[in-house]
Amino acid sequence: MTRTGPGVILTITAALAGILFSTPALAANPSPAETAAPEKVVWTAPDQEEAEKRAEEVVPFVEAVMDECRLCRQQRLRDVGLSVKDQSESYFLLNSPIIRKTEDHYGPVRFMHAKHAGVTKDCALCHHYRPLDETASETTRCSACHQEPFNKDHPERLGLKAAYHQQCMGCHQEMDKGPIDCAGCHRKNVPDHKDLIQLAANPEPFEVTSECLRCHKPAGEDMLKSAHWLWKGPSPYTLHHRKEVELGKATIATNNF
Amino acid sequence: MGLNRRDFFKYMAVAGATVAGSERSAHAWQSRAPSDPYGCLVDLTRCIGCRKCEEACNRVNALPAPDRSFEDLTLLDKKRRPDERAYTVVNRYVSGEIDKRDQLVPTFVKLQCMHCQDPACVSACIAVALTKKENGAVHYDVTKCIGCRYCMVACPFEIPAYEYHDPITPRVMKCTFCYERVESEKKLPGCAEICPVEAITFGRRKDLIKVARQRIKKNPGRYIDHVYGEKEVGGTSWMYLSGVPFEKLGLNALPEKPMPQLAETIQHSLFSYLWSPIVLFGMLGGVMWASKDKSDRAGNGGRSGNGKEGDYKGRML
Repeated sequence: MTRTGPGVILTITAALAGILFSTPALAANPSPAETAAPEKVVWTAPDQEEAEKRAEEVVPFVEAVMDECRLCRQQRLRDVGLSVKDQSESYFLLNSPIIRKTEDHYGPVRFMHAKHAGVTKDCALCHHYRPLDETASETTRCSACHQEPFNKDHPERLGLKAAYHQQCMGCHQEMDKGPIDCAGCHRKNVPDHKDLIQLAANPEPFEVTSECLRCHKPAGEDMLKSAHWLWKGPSPYTLHHRKEVELGKATIATNNF
Repeated sequence: MGLNRRDFFKYMAVAGATVAGSERSAHAWQSRAPSDPYGCLVDLTRCIGCRKCEEACNRVNALPAPDRSFEDLTLLDKKRRPDERAYTVVNRYVSGEIDKRDQLVPTFVKLQCMHCQDPACVSACIAVALTKKENGAVHYDVTKCIGCRYCMVACPFEIPAYEYHDPITPRVMKCTFCYERVESEKKLPGCAEICPVEAITFGRRKDLIKVARQRIKKNPGRYIDHVYGEKEVGGTSWMYLSGVPFEKLGLNALPEKPMPQLAETIQHSLFSYLWSPIVLFGMLGGVMWASKDKSDRAGNGGRSGNGKEGDYKGRML
């Protein structure tokens, strides 16, 4: 860290204070209306706010790009003197409104730009073209060229969502590094279970379990193979202390659906 | 035989005249394909087999919930077909090619109605429940369907499925090309919208062919030089690009002629000016006349064998 000034200490104390004050409030009033007040003190990193703001921007569409090969591109970046060190932000939040127009199943990806640049040491890997306009930045953001999918005027230009996925997953696969599954990069937006759960007012415990299993059947089957279910052994606290009763969820214990 | 030399010449003359007449009257078959339909180009080299298209299709068309979650990729271990509960399915094929990490390179193939330019199902449908729309969709109208399932027999891709479990109001089920979404709501088909890698490109069919050709030209090592669906069965609205020969991916080689061409040519030439029923009943009349003549002759100089057989039959009855 370059700065460990009073600012940082202040934010840490603020965060601690936020946690201290918000926890009892949450425990006392779990209803959503009451928790609205402590939400104000929830601390977020200042760069997170900036990243969120940045993610909301939609930059003007780049119509034409300079068509050059990978080597020419790398050479150009070297000539201009751009390298991994010339980075303003350490990470970006990939949460463009262009994608959110059609998609809300997954949370945005927190893309560690500096880390990726440091590992690959090649800007041209992702910044594969530059705008034809000479005044434009050498390394424009992805969403300058990749916006709406299936653009009639640019049939070969990928939409933003596909450009991200193809670039990230393609490279991860090629380098045998980094996740290529959905949950490796995204947090899943879990749908509100209030509307999904179909239970009577005062359900029996078994009814609750069977309601969960209605959708999460594989999770239930996995549970049956886990130590949580399979543990068993002699109990010291049984009839006459004879230590002969096998206890365990799958045998005679309670709460074994 | 009862046919003498003079009769034989008579029949031949009649048959010859009718055949000659039919050839003149049979007009050439004409395609009724829409001129500028929408289509989808499925790039199998891009598909990652995430099954999101299946999920979106299920949601958009309000299909019944699946037995196993759409996130369960073990379903890909088995080959599936689109059925009455799923308009589209993704299958995984392995060609035996191995990547750098000694893993089999999979090719995922999305299956759905191909929305043929000249659909065999539309030609086979006797109730006009199936129609080819101007925007490319092969549209099914349940109110007209009589449940004959000729479409299922006719389809060269074996796509239409039937709700056998519903005895009162069964429907033929197949991909709708999200007709309402595309036509009225001006949205993308559900699968094309959700695809994370743009393995499905939506657009005008003629543009898509250009895009496909360009992709092959730009990257000849990645693709085999064939756009499946460009010419198959006279062209389809859904087309495929692949790096693996299509025969190995369950996409069979099909003739370039539209399926209805042969069937409709035969049928139309058979029934033009009703010549074939006229000939048929004429022939039957001729046979009746000839056989009557024959039985008369048989009755006159009766052989003993025939009589015995007749007696036997009579006893049996």
